[in-house]
Amino acid sequence: MNNQSHPLLDIKNLVKDFGGLRALNNVSLRIQEGEIRGLIGPNGSGKTTMINLITGSYKIDHGSIYFSGERMDGLQPNVIASRGIMRTFQISRVFKDMTVLENMVVPALCQGQSMVEAKVRAEELLEFSLLTRLKNEPAKNLSGGQSMLLQIVRGFMKKDLRLYLMDEPFSGVHESIKGIIIKNIKAMNQEKGITFLIVSHEMTTIRNLCYRISVLHKGELISQGTMEEVANDPLVIDAYLGGE
Amino acid sequence: MLKHRLNYFGLLLLLLSAIVLPFYLPDYWIHSLTITFYYVIMAATWNLLGGYTGQFSLSHHTFALIGSYTSALLITKAGIPMWTGMVSSWIFNAFLSMLLGILCLRMQGIYLALTTWAFAEIVKTYIRMDFEFTGGDRGLKTPLFFKTMNPLPYYYLFLVFAVLTIIVIAIIMRSRIGYYLRTIRNDEVAAQAMGVNTVRWKVFVFMVASVFASIAGTLYGHFTGLISPVSGEFYEMALIIIFVVIGGMRSQAGPVIGAISIRFLAEVLKKWPEIRMVLLASAVILIMRFFNGGLMEFLRRGYQRIQQRKGRGPVSVFQKME
Repeated sequence: MNNQSHPLLDIKNLVKDFGGLRALNNVSLRIQEGEIRGLIGPNGSGKTTMINLITGSYKIDHGSIYFSGERMDGLQPNVIASRGIMRTFQISRVFKDMTVLENMVVPALCQGQSMVEAKVRAEELLEFSLLTRLKNEPAKNLSGGQSMLLQIVRGFMKKDLRLYLMDEPFSGVHESIKGIIIKNIKAMNQEKGITFLIVSHEMTTIRNLCYRISVLHKGELISQGTMEEVANDPLVIDAYLGGE
Repeated sequence: MLKHRLNYFGLLLLLLSAIVLPFYLPDYWIHSLTITFYYVIMAATWNLLGGYTGQFSLSHHTFALIGSYTSALLITKAGIPMWTGMVSSWIFNAFLSMLLGILCLRMQGIYLALTTWAFAEIVKTYIRMDFEFTGGDRGLKTPLFFKTMNPLPYYYLFLVFAVLTIIVIAIIMRSRIGYYLRTIRNDEVAAQAMGVNTVRWKVFVFMVASVFASIAGTLYGHFTGLISPVSGEFYEMALIIIFVVIGGMRSQAGPVIGAISIRFLAEVLKKWPEIRMVLLASAVILIMRFFNGGLMEFLRRGYQRIQQRKGRGPVSVFQKME
């Protein structure tokens, strides 16, 4: 892991407004290389907005985002992806009219890999994820859980993947598929040192997967630490249980 | 795969028929088929843009019009040799389509359609208005490519170009570019997140489709000997879309089958001009109602039925994980 002064992802004083609504208010966050960081918070706290800002889907209003020491806010999403950052969406966004295998090769092709190389790698990942039987199936025929799994595994096709942002990867997913997703995350983190930022409401899974957790509430970062630390933080308790 | 097998077999059959057919047909039908090949080129290239990439442009026919007028004006007014005039018009169209593509980058759906329609209307209206330069509604005479009214050499010229167009599109769609274009149509946001440079590829496909349309339009102008702004009417664009949708969007053979079948139907119904459009439109409605994947879907379903009767499938399209 890098030392504390050189985080992989360094977010400083991030602000994002939607009209009169402040979705993120001066949020600063640092993630070290090799971490699996959890990002939790009540609905509407700004978790998805943060992911959209990091990946360039939204433009920041104030603040800065550094990745591996280089500033990257303001870049187009495809350029950010080329720097080694992949993401998944809360509602799975696979290419429905393309087969599972065709979906898989897209990130690799974007990187300049050959079709042959990309398909070999895709077949390996599909086998690891127990999706081989579905490889020629149009993605629109997959169940919700299979679609989420495909979305996640597709991101691993990026050869130089360094940071993977996952937005609710376990939401509405069968236990067996959840197990495969967790297996993939742990394997990629341990074998390839990929850093993860995982947004989820599934506390048990987050506790098992993530050493450090950040908590957002009403657009502000209210707590950071281990699951035990944040679970006992009065601010967090109030955020989840308190009224308006 | 079934889809590829149908496509290749169908195309090969069509090609062989097309090569020998003129020897058995009168000049009228050779002329009509030549124009059909023009529409095959237009439909196939619009399918690349609208079908595969999801860029629903309503100015595709306009690039054919611009191609024909640019070439004709350069040759007749500036005295430029024919090939120089033609190639110059293609380069001009490439530049123009690049500008339009960039303008339409952030637009989708109805907004893209309206913007490209507006562009088409501007071009057509200009041609009509500047009649001293363009000939206006009277049209503009163009020199013939083969310096003969005999349709046979034009038939083979358009056949070669149509086959070339289909081959180029097939190569594009089988390459990584084809993957990028399909991801843009499926989900542009997800495509960008995967690393697809959607800006580059949208402009690329706009330019490729428009250049092919301009080549087709140029050749058409130097085949008919007379061009007019009538070719810029919205009806022409609607016809191209109908060919693609009837034949089958996002398939190689679909635009070919669509153009040929609808053109043939139009010729057969020529005896009843009053109800021809009604019958054509009714045919469109029926096909869309029962086979919204077009004639290719009709053929596909027929093939699957045959396979089922032979006890060979289809396997359930939904497979659950253990």
